[in-house]
Amino acid sequence: MSEMPFDQLDLKRAIAGDERAMQRLWSQHAPHIDAVVRRLCGDPELAADVSQEVWMQIFRALPSYRGDSQFGTWAHRIAVNRTLNALRKIRRLAKLETDIEDDSALIEMDTDRTFLAESIEQAMARLSPGARAVFVLHDIEGYTHGEIGEELGITPGGSKSQLFKARARLRRLLAHLVDESIPVGKGKEHVAPV
Amino acid sequence: MSHLSEDQLDQIIASERARQPAPLNEWRTIAARAREEGLIHESQSRSWVAGQPWIQAAAAMLLLAGGIAIGRTTIALPSSGHPGENPGQATISGTSTASTAPAIATMGDSFASVDDASATLERALGEYQRASAFLAANLSGPTTADSSRIYKDRLAALDEVGNAMESALRTAPHDPVINQYYLATMGARVATQQMVARPVGLALRGF
Repeated sequence: MSEMPFDQLDLKRAIAGDERAMQRLWSQHAPHIDAVVRRLCGDPELAADVSQEVWMQIFRALPSYRGDSQFGTWAHRIAVNRTLNALRKIRRLAKLETDIEDDSALIEMDTDRTFLAESIEQAMARLSPGARAVFVLHDIEGYTHGEIGEELGITPGGSKSQLFKARARLRRLLAHLVDESIPVGKGKEHVAPV
Repeated sequence: MSHLSEDQLDQIIASERARQPAPLNEWRTIAARAREEGLIHESQSRSWVAGQPWIQAAAAMLLLAGGIAIGRTTIALPSSGHPGENPGQATISGTSTASTAPAIATMGDSFASVDDASATLERALGEYQRASAFLAANLSGPTTADSSRIYKDRLAALDEVGNAMESALRTAPHDPVINQYYLATMGARVATQQMVARPVGLALRGF
C-alpha cells in the first residue's frame, strides 16, 4: 500500500486534540479504512456505525503509534480488529469460531437460484459473516491464511476451506454479470496470497 | 446454473480491491463523537491557529487597521490632521488610506522570500502600532447616544457574521479567503466593542 508520508507535526497536533489535524488524517485514510469495514460488515448501516467506533479507536490509540509501519497499515489493522470485534459482539461470527468446519458459506444456497447479485459487494453480503471475513481478508486485503487464522481464531486449513466455498458461491452469484464480456487472460494466476 | 471461471472472479476482485468508495460517515459525525469523548480539544484547535506567526501578525494588522478605519468613519477623524488641528471636523477620511493602499498593493511583487515578506510585515506592524499610539493620544470626538446605538447594532451584526465565518472555517479550515474574512470580522468586532464600551459623551483617549 502506498501513501503520502504522514506529517509528524499533524500527528502531534492530532494527539493533542487538534480537530483540523484529525480531519486531515481522516480525509486521507477514510476511503481505504471505511472500505474494509464496509466489506467485512456486509451491511451499510452497520458499517457506518462500526466505522465510527473504528475511528474513535484510531484516535484513542494515536499516542501509541510509533511509526514502525506506515500509518495506513497501522490504522487498517485497527479497523480489521475493531470490526471483527464488533461483529463478534453481535454474534455474527460466533458460529464461525465454534463450528468453522461447517459449510457456513453454503447457508441459503437454495436462494442463489433466484438471487443474482448486481455487484461483488452485493454478492459478498450473501456470504455468511465468517466466510465473508475470510474472503475479504484474503482475496481483497491480502492477508495470508495464517494471519486470518490468528485474527479469527481458526486454523489456516479452516480459512482455506472457507475461502474455497466462498469463492465458489461468488462465482455462482456473479455468473450473469460477466458471461462472455470479461476477456480472461491466459495463464493468469490467482492474485491473492495463499 | 452457470459459473464464473476463477480468472473471471479474480478480475472482479481486482476491480473491487482498487475501488475506494466514499467514507461511510461525514467528518462532522466523527468529530461530534470525538468531542463527546474528549478527543478533540477546542483550545488546541484554536491555539494552533493562534500559534501560526503569520496569522498572529495578520490578525494584529487587521485589528489595528479595522480599529483605525472604524474609528475614522465613526468619529470623523481628519485623515491628515495634526494634533490640535480641527479635531472635531466632520469629514470622512480617505486620504491617508488611499495614499498607503497603492504601496501595499504593489509590495507583493517586491518580496524576495517569505522571510523578506515576514520582516516587512513586522516593520509595518510596528509602524501601525506607533501610528495607533499617536492617534490615540490625539483623537477627540464625543460619543453620542445615537452613535452608541449604531455601534451596538454593528456589534450584533458582526457577531452574526463572526458566527457564519466560524462555521465556514469548520468546513474549510485552510481557505485563505475565509481566514482573512474571519480575522477582519474579529478585528472589526473588537474595535466596535471598544467604541460601545466608551461612555456617552466621553472623548476617546486611547485604544
